[in-house]
Amino acid sequence: MREIVVPGDVVAERPMRMHNSYIYGNRTYAATVGLFDKEHNEIIPLEGGWVPHIEDAVIGIVKNVKNSVYEVDLSYFKRSILIGSKFETHPMKRGDVIEASIKDIEDRRTIILYRERVLRGGTMIEVKASKVPRIIGKNSTMINQIAEFTRTSITVGRNGVIWVRGEDVELATEAILKVEREAHVAGLTERIKMMLEERTKTGE
Amino acid sequence: MASKANKPELIVKGRRIDGRDFNELRPIKIEAGILKNADGSAYVEWGNNKILAAVYGPKEAMPKHIADPAKAIIKCRYAMAPFSSLAEHGRTGPNRRAIEISKVTKEVFENVVILSEFPNSEIDVFIEVLQGDGGTRAAGITAASVALANAGIFMRDLVYAVSAGRIEDKIVLDFNMIEDNYSEADMPMAIAPRNNEVLLLQMDGGLDRDQLKQAIGMVLEAGKEISRLQRQALKEDYSRVEESARGNK
Repeated sequence: MREIVVPGDVVAERPMRMHNSYIYGNRTYAATVGLFDKEHNEIIPLEGGWVPHIEDAVIGIVKNVKNSVYEVDLSYFKRSILIGSKFETHPMKRGDVIEASIKDIEDRRTIILYRERVLRGGTMIEVKASKVPRIIGKNSTMINQIAEFTRTSITVGRNGVIWVRGEDVELATEAILKVEREAHVAGLTERIKMMLEERTKTGE
Repeated sequence: MASKANKPELIVKGRRIDGRDFNELRPIKIEAGILKNADGSAYVEWGNNKILAAVYGPKEAMPKHIADPAKAIIKCRYAMAPFSSLAEHGRTGPNRRAIEISKVTKEVFENVVILSEFPNSEIDVFIEVLQGDGGTRAAGITAASVALANAGIFMRDLVYAVSAGRIEDKIVLDFNMIEDNYSEADMPMAIAPRNNEVLLLQMDGGLDRDQLKQAIGMVLEAGKEISRLQRQALKEDYSRVEESARGNK
């Protein structure tokens, strides 16, 4: 059973460590607007920007190249850089779309990326970062389902940037935006499945 | 000008000038998430007050030297539209009164937003009074608090604010403009309902100890209703989507 909580709502009558919450006295309170899952004791935020964490997979655009240091635009206000290897055979260019992971956040100011992969072609979609977990789904069910039906390859960045390439990019985009909009509604995977089935049928 | 010479009768036959009881709020309507460009927004109609609040951020602190590596910075701008009331608001830009209200509002939210979650960043809060009829700072704080929650900014609580005061020897809740101008004391308060922490208390005029106690009691009682409306406004936004999603099934 999941219910919507707002800041200041009591989620537990005892101190408990939980994301998006805080402890005051002997109680745990919600710190953001979200869905509180009583069984798993977690708050899934419904609003809010991305807060970078180490090992987050992100998608960005190379914005500047200087001595094999790449500055990457993650649509986030902090500077993010990727230090290239000295012996690169195919250096990246300005405008390349890359997927990378966060290695470190230096002085809480600069995001250092590593394990980069260039994404060629395709389309980028920007969604609210708070909806990304729902777009991926439990064990990636949601995103795999969309990719399978639309015969696309989809990569999701925690910063709210999604990259799609393949056959029916339009339908995949529509499905992703529908998930973003209805992220808090139960039984979404089923509904998206029905929508995709219907749409792919009429296309043939 | 408000003076003793032209003071109207504020209480007639145990009722106030607009027919309310002493501890009665004006009708309040709150809506969340009505501005698309803002990260969070709220619109409040509080009697004749019409107030729009918008929140942007967390974003890069500008100018850069104000950035704090330990916490976020809150900037607040309260402004009355030139057409908002009968008094003169002709010139653009903040005046003395607006600067003061911006400052106290900022301090309210500095104590309720979990600033350490957003180091090196800035959160902008805008409160725009479209139509003012007394108690705009209280209504503005109430609106801004909903807008902050709507932006998904980590907060300890949803703050509400309301004013209480004294007309002659009667303690009265939620002044409108006329009562505000001619009353003996006016006291806006902002409160975090979780533990009734007082985040703002200003006073014009004077109250004795018993009157102050009575006024605070009235504010806390009215706060339950305001809090309920704030919560409802935030949740309503989602239930609307949920309903339409189920309808399309």
